[in-house]
Amino acid sequence: MLRNLFLVISTLGLACALATVLSRNLVRAGLWLVAFFFCVACLFVLLEAEFLAALQVLVYIGAVSILLMFGIMLTRGVQGTDPTSNPSARLAPGLVAGGVLFLLLSYGISRERGLRTQRSWATTGERPAIEPGTEGPSTPRRDAINNMGKALGVELMSRYVIAFELAGLLLTAALVGAIAVAHREEAFEPSSKGAPASSPAAESASVA
Amino acid sequence: MESDIPLDWFLLFAAAAFAIGLIGVLTRKNAIAVLMAIEIMLNAANVNLVAFWRYGPLRPEAGPIPGLVLAVMVLTVAAAEVAVGIGLILLCYRRFKAADVDQYDTLSG
Repeated sequence: MLRNLFLVISTLGLACALATVLSRNLVRAGLWLVAFFFCVACLFVLLEAEFLAALQVLVYIGAVSILLMFGIMLTRGVQGTDPTSNPSARLAPGLVAGGVLFLLLSYGISRERGLRTQRSWATTGERPAIEPGTEGPSTPRRDAINNMGKALGVELMSRYVIAFELAGLLLTAALVGAIAVAHREEAFEPSSKGAPASSPAAESASVA
Repeated sequence: MESDIPLDWFLLFAAAAFAIGLIGVLTRKNAIAVLMAIEIMLNAANVNLVAFWRYGPLRPEAGPIPGLVLAVMVLTVAAAEVAVGIGLILLCYRRFKAADVDQYDTLSG
């Protein structure tokens, strides 16, 4: 049952990814990308990471793909056609590179032997159980899975607090940097001589 | 759970999605399509992280959810990357009047 579900979802996901890569129309490629993100969220649910699946839907489908759509429509017109895409002279080497990479990765995955204390990946047939009664009344993994939002918050605020703060700093820098980079040049260039104090956004945009 | 999903199925899915993303990066000309392919590759890496977290052993010093925290960090960085990338592409579109990566050849001699 689970295996069939996984096979259906992964086949759909790979088909959506392939359609994203090969579709000539950019808006359609973006919509295929949304479907791929949703399939990956379904895989997260199969891996019992429901909170991450919700994050995936919110961040990727809700924000990233909409941002990509804005980018397409601001650069290509509303139709989003990409007449220059995928000439066969570029497609063949790309397909060869992707195929060779997949063959290498799958060879490595199937031949992995595992550490001394650990089984190899190819023979890890099932995940550690979390049903009650299998490993005592309460294990850290089961508590985290059953209460994932709380566990993630506690971890981000205690053990991974430096990474959390760095991520916040990165997001702030990306926000300011994106505004500074995409600031309209015509808006400030004629008036920057007379402006009493130029904003940092205008400065960095004029430098760029 | 008599027939659980093997770990390497997830790994093979991630490898295939990563390869498809690489094909997209190498073959697409449009900069936004290249950005989409990069997102596919980041998602493949995330699937690997969560699968290893769920199937592998837990070290007590790493807490209960090390893979999930790493996946959330990847998510954050991907969001920031898309925001800055779209800004850069819009800037280049205004300057070069094109969104194709092979037209941005100012640095090539």
